[in-house]
Amino acid sequence: MLFTVLSLALGSGGLAAMPVPAEATTVFADRIYTAAGDVIENGMVVITDGKISAIGVAPNGERKEGELHVAAITPGMVDLSSRNTNMQTVEETTEVSAQYHVADSLDLFDRSWGRQLKSGVTTVVANPYDNNCIGGFSIALKTGGEPSLEARTVKADVALRGSFGSQPSGKNHPARRRPTDFYSRRPTTRMGVEWVWRKSMYDALYAEGNKDRAFDGVEQLLAALNGEVPVFAQAWATQDIRTAVFLKEEMAKEGKTKMRLIIDAGAEAWRELDFLTRTGTAVVLPPFASDGRTFDNAFYARDCAAKLHGAGVPIALSAHNDSSPGHSLGDQAAFARSGGLSFDAALEAVTISPARIMGIDRRVGSIEVGKDGDLVLWNGTPFELTSSVVGVVLEGELVVDPR
Amino acid sequence: MMFNTILAAFLAVSAGLTATPQPGTPSGSEGVKAGVSPASKAVSDAAAFTAFKAKIVYLGNGTSLENGVVLVQDGIIVKVGKDLEIPAGAGIVDHDGALSAGLIALHSNDGAGGELNDTTRTVMPDAEARFAFDPKHPELREALEAGITSIVLCPSSSRLIGGQTAVVKTSGGVIVKPNAQLSLGLSSAALSYNEFPTSYSGALGELNAQFSDPKGAVSRAVAGSLPVLMDVNDRAETMRAIAFAKKYKLRGAMYGSYWAEDVVVAIKESGFDVICTPFDVGDNQRGARSVAALAAAGVRIGFGLDSPARHPASLRFGAAMCVRQGLAADSARKALTGDAADIVGAGNRIGKIARGSDADIVLWSGDPVALSSSIKAVYIEGKQVFGGSK
Repeated sequence: MLFTVLSLALGSGGLAAMPVPAEATTVFADRIYTAAGDVIENGMVVITDGKISAIGVAPNGERKEGELHVAAITPGMVDLSSRNTNMQTVEETTEVSAQYHVADSLDLFDRSWGRQLKSGVTTVVANPYDNNCIGGFSIALKTGGEPSLEARTVKADVALRGSFGSQPSGKNHPARRRPTDFYSRRPTTRMGVEWVWRKSMYDALYAEGNKDRAFDGVEQLLAALNGEVPVFAQAWATQDIRTAVFLKEEMAKEGKTKMRLIIDAGAEAWRELDFLTRTGTAVVLPPFASDGRTFDNAFYARDCAAKLHGAGVPIALSAHNDSSPGHSLGDQAAFARSGGLSFDAALEAVTISPARIMGIDRRVGSIEVGKDGDLVLWNGTPFELTSSVVGVVLEGELVVDPR
Repeated sequence: MMFNTILAAFLAVSAGLTATPQPGTPSGSEGVKAGVSPASKAVSDAAAFTAFKAKIVYLGNGTSLENGVVLVQDGIIVKVGKDLEIPAGAGIVDHDGALSAGLIALHSNDGAGGELNDTTRTVMPDAEARFAFDPKHPELREALEAGITSIVLCPSSSRLIGGQTAVVKTSGGVIVKPNAQLSLGLSSAALSYNEFPTSYSGALGELNAQFSDPKGAVSRAVAGSLPVLMDVNDRAETMRAIAFAKKYKLRGAMYGSYWAEDVVVAIKESGFDVICTPFDVGDNQRGARSVAALAAAGVRIGFGLDSPARHPASLRFGAAMCVRQGLAADSARKALTGDAADIVGAGNRIGKIARGSDADIVLWSGDPVALSSSIKAVYIEGKQVFGGSK
């Protein structure tokens, strides 16, 4: 049957020459949204050994018994701000803990991973909890499969996570109260948060090539300053987004021009398009709020995603692991569409765009031959509130079966 | 030592005065009749040999001997067999019931008060639990009366690297093994709200720092000469501990078994022994199921106690719970004795009814893992320390 399939010219050549193992997973759909520029009508995807091995137009004729056929297929969705990490994932005894890895603290047996998987999110970035200025390294991983880091990791140490705004200073207090408490420290203000960030970066700058000034976390900070890993910083409100950008620009003046900045939860990013475009900063957006008011009292306009996309800012949507109905990542794309984002841009904002932002697009984010066989199966047009995710394929395994 | 010998002789004599002085007398309902034969009036001879006869002798390795005899000399088992020739003048304990090695409670705090948790620092690998041991502590007597003749004192698992565990006896102040394991806290118990570490990532970061540049006891653990005792609770902690041990090629045991049934394959592959979390009345069956699953997969297990928070009797209670969930009774008895001793590297001295082992013996009315069985007498190094025909 497969020999009759008309292959689209996607890299590896014709299907006829390709051996098809019996254990291949094949899914048919009325429309396949590849997020790689194509929409295939009446198409099929073949996954062999966990990787996509063929994409094409399905043969004409009657459907066979037991065939997996759905209305639409999109790539497995990618959420860069999975937020299923708790306070035990960040070392709060210091405000800068760049040397630690969130991977050391994940509970892969937690139910939230499976919940995300069922919602169509197959890849997430797990970040240290945002109670520190600089929390530590994030990790990109799959939401399903054997519950071990070995099996699930897409990319370890994918970004250096930090936070601006009120959260890192929220618990701290001046020394007059319980001075022995480790929360008796700076920062207690936004100004202090920025001071800690800037001090850490200058400390790392001065320690570069000077072993006498080395400290715990210096290697990790330098990796970020030198652009080996991006800085992934939570900044909900305008002032915090500006602070992050100012810091990046200051470091560029110090010669660290390769430092990459990604804003997480940039609810008010729509107010600062110039700051973002002039520094090439990508933005991960938080889930929509009914009244637009989000954390740090940042106003998240419904057309935020559309405005950013229109200005050429790379964007990604996120559901923050919200399990309540109507808050899945697919729903976030629907809300963004209602704010004026085009279908194609909405599709990209939950698939290939976050994968590119985090540098994991060689493995995930689109339906292309050679990439991981992660698919979301829909019962209608994706990102419409009238359609839903009915099936999920993770690395070729049908983890949610629509039949 | 001299004092001990004199004491032993004194006990033997006093036992002789109160018990029927003929060996081999059919046992009455009392179950135990200790006696010294009339021919052994010479105290030195009587102290030299004692023969323990029992209807069934559990050897501590998962096997048993019906109508067995255990011959003890100077507190050491010298011979075990069915029809042993008993030396003339030997004291004879003829027991109409079961005989086993003294039980071993892994992970206990008995007799150490609050001295095992140094909250001033979370890394102190060269601290040794034996120096917290108070041999006269009344808790030890309770353990003894529950058939427990040895316990493993562990530095608190609320420390990242708490120190070294010690195997001690519940009577006589004997330290069987001073540096048995290096205690590592990999569970949430090692996390704090007001001091380092507050997070798993901080905890692992610090452990990695300690083990990648090992000093003192840590270097012995990395070299493989000191086993580790990793405290874990949930599945994530178990997997994290296994990965950590693999990274530094550590060997030893994990303390914490409640969730083990979900990760039993990973535990088996790690080669680590598992010290089972204590049981209590009303506990969820998952814990017992997990222990049965571990044993079925071929993981060596022992039972933890966490006394004095738990009564020593819960050690045997836990084993019985596990038997009800499918653990073979032989495996349960082995886990309470021989395997427990092997887990802490003291199997050549305690936990077994075998030649060369200490004569730490419990006489039971029946099977030790049957809760209806009661303890008739306990001996440590051949000396009766509890029960009997008094």
